[in-house]
Amino acid sequence: MEPESQVGDAYLVARARDGYLDAYEMLVQRHSANAYRVALRLCGNHHDAQDLAQEALVAAWQNLPRFRGDASFATWLYRIVTRRALNKISRGPVADQADLLADFTDSVAGPAEQTERNLAVDAVTDALAALPFPQRTVVVLHHFEGLSYAEVAEVTGSSVPAVRSNLFRARRTLGKKLGEWR
Amino acid sequence: MTESVDEPPAAPRLLDAVALPCGAEVDPLLEQVADGRAEDLNAHQRGCVHCQAAIAEFAALWGPVAETAASQVPAPPGLTAAVMSQIRVLVRDVWYTLQTTELGTIRIAARIVAALARDSARMVPGVRVALGRSTHSRLAALAEKASFGHSYPQAAVGVLGRTAVVDLAVAVTYGDSAHAVAREIQQHVIGTLRDMVGLQTVVVNVKVDDILPGEGDH
Repeated sequence: MEPESQVGDAYLVARARDGYLDAYEMLVQRHSANAYRVALRLCGNHHDAQDLAQEALVAAWQNLPRFRGDASFATWLYRIVTRRALNKISRGPVADQADLLADFTDSVAGPAEQTERNLAVDAVTDALAALPFPQRTVVVLHHFEGLSYAEVAEVTGSSVPAVRSNLFRARRTLGKKLGEWR
Repeated sequence: MTESVDEPPAAPRLLDAVALPCGAEVDPLLEQVADGRAEDLNAHQRGCVHCQAAIAEFAALWGPVAETAASQVPAPPGLTAAVMSQIRVLVRDVWYTLQTTELGTIRIAARIVAALARDSARMVPGVRVALGRSTHSRLAALAEKASFGHSYPQAAVGVLGRTAVVDLAVAVTYGDSAHAVAREIQQHVIGTLRDMVGLQTVVVNVKVDDILPGEGDH
């Protein structure tokens, strides 16, 4: 195990606030994939997702003095990415939709399996993109990122019942869309 | 007695209903599947064909979502570098003057010195994590103060002169003498900066702020 992996985010956040840029660089290395992945799943295209992740990680550094530490750095970063995604989406339609696996290809799967898989991913992408933003957000954070209802509520600034309600509606809509696709 | 079902329930039709014929609500069943608990049947579900059929149908329906969610999505190459590059633009660089002659001035960014110091500190036995600080309000203030009365007219504000001040935050291995490790870091870093950069006067402040278990203690 790399020694760097043994120090927690809280330690690195504290050092980054003290002005140690390499502490923040370690945080970026740890969390940039999460930021990009959530951005990709919320806005649906690589270009916007990369911009959004970069903006969010720079904004997180600029706002470190205001980070109280009562949430984890990961949760706080999810919140920044989510809010910026909402702002970006509110400003207008996103560019070309891309699949949610980015450039991922499974080297084990054969061509037929890969094609089938791509079709399934396209169906999920389309179904997710059709959801209203609050429902898309809770699906991404809970079902894709594995956050608990309480954590999703913290990220979205809502309540657990509101998260649960949005998830119920989102799952039904997704289920119907995917049912039509099958 | 086993209940009979005329035909398997189609998922879209299932999702139009609030409850199954057995009285079980549909949404909790979909939630159970979506949360990866399709196999965790309760006592009622274990004996109910309606619930079992609905769970099987939802599992097939939710499969592509679960597969997409489980896939790896790496960060684009260069994202970390782009973020740090943008941040470094926002941080005003402090510079050390290495040499000033009639040919011109040679300077090195303090952040490079800090990175070299950090890497040098990481090579000292007992050091587990080392962080180097290059730009900080205290350092920037020192730089401005130092440059104000600098003997070389070429020295601009933000140039710290020829004395490098490096702050290192380190985590050491549990059981090692923190003091001895810190002294070793100072000597090693001073030697590295003298040999690699040519800085003759180096102040190395070491802060031991964490202790980690030894390599074999996991």
